[in-house]
Amino acid sequence: MHFVTGGAFNGKRAWVKKTYPDACWLSAYENVPMPSLLNDIDKNLLVLEGIEIWLKELSDQNDANQSREIWKHHLEAWGDWEKANTKRQLVVIGTDITKGIVPMEKDNRLWRDVTGWAFQDLAAKAEKVDLIWYGIDQTLKPGGDM
Amino acid sequence: MADSPSLIFVTGGVRSGKSRFAEKLATEIAMKTRGQLNYLATGVPSDCEMFARIEKHRRERETGKHHWKTMEKSVQIEELTLAVNNHDIILLDCVTTLLNNELFSGGDVRDETFLSKVKEKIMKGIMAIKNRASTMIVVSNEVLNEPLAGNELVFTYGKLLGQIHQQLVQEADKVFLIEVGIPILMKGAK
Repeated sequence: MHFVTGGAFNGKRAWVKKTYPDACWLSAYENVPMPSLLNDIDKNLLVLEGIEIWLKELSDQNDANQSREIWKHHLEAWGDWEKANTKRQLVVIGTDITKGIVPMEKDNRLWRDVTGWAFQDLAAKAEKVDLIWYGIDQTLKPGGDM
Repeated sequence: MADSPSLIFVTGGVRSGKSRFAEKLATEIAMKTRGQLNYLATGVPSDCEMFARIEKHRRERETGKHHWKTMEKSVQIEELTLAVNNHDIILLDCVTTLLNNELFSGGDVRDETFLSKVKEKIMKGIMAIKNRASTMIVVSNEVLNEPLAGNELVFTYGKLLGQIHQQLVQEADKVFLIEVGIPILMKGAK
């Protein structure tokens, strides 16, 4: 699992397209709901984009703890899909929304908290983590490449 | 002999010390190259407090050890191009204000053609000035690590700013990210 993060409009998508060509993309920006089971994906290379949007939906419907539990279940399921075949590679893109002023609205505060925790869970589970800053990538977790 | 024109991009959060760093960098280059310091001010004083701040800044630059010339241009910076020569060190502070001025100078912010024109105009202006100057230092602000989706105008502004920053990083010879007053070299040689 490879987690790619960074601020909005920093070139994350272009970087992933260049690094992982010909992937199947499931994007929250195109209103695709958060997938739980990935069994029907017919490609070995899968990109999940816009997870912060899925986390907004999660945090709108659940409290902080429930949101994180559900998120962890999804991470497990995604990890299982990837592990079931050594050719499989999962790339997860999330926009960092955690560095602004504390939001006025309670639901936006919860969203931001849940997103921060979820990104930490994802980064812990992923073998590789990259931070994209205006197209420049900084590897935060190098992974076990030979 | 003057080196080929170079572009330096400096960015950081609010009150991170990015302007101070950029001014220091400019004066160091001016001393080394015996160049002329120029401050390209993009702010339009919108209230009394801002007017006072701009004046204070100007006074500091003009009475300091190094002599700065001030150029004022809130939109269409490309019009300054011919006034620039290869002894000039130009400090543009900052891109966020310039983008703001260009966006709200009368066009339709929902019109994609207008938006891409604004983006192109800002980049072309910067590159045109840079190509005639000895060094161009461009300062901007880190504002893209928070939700942008709630408000259409904020989203549009953030999208353009991110794209401009990506282009600046690509074009620049050196890029610095300032964190708590400390410059981190993100691109280029020391």
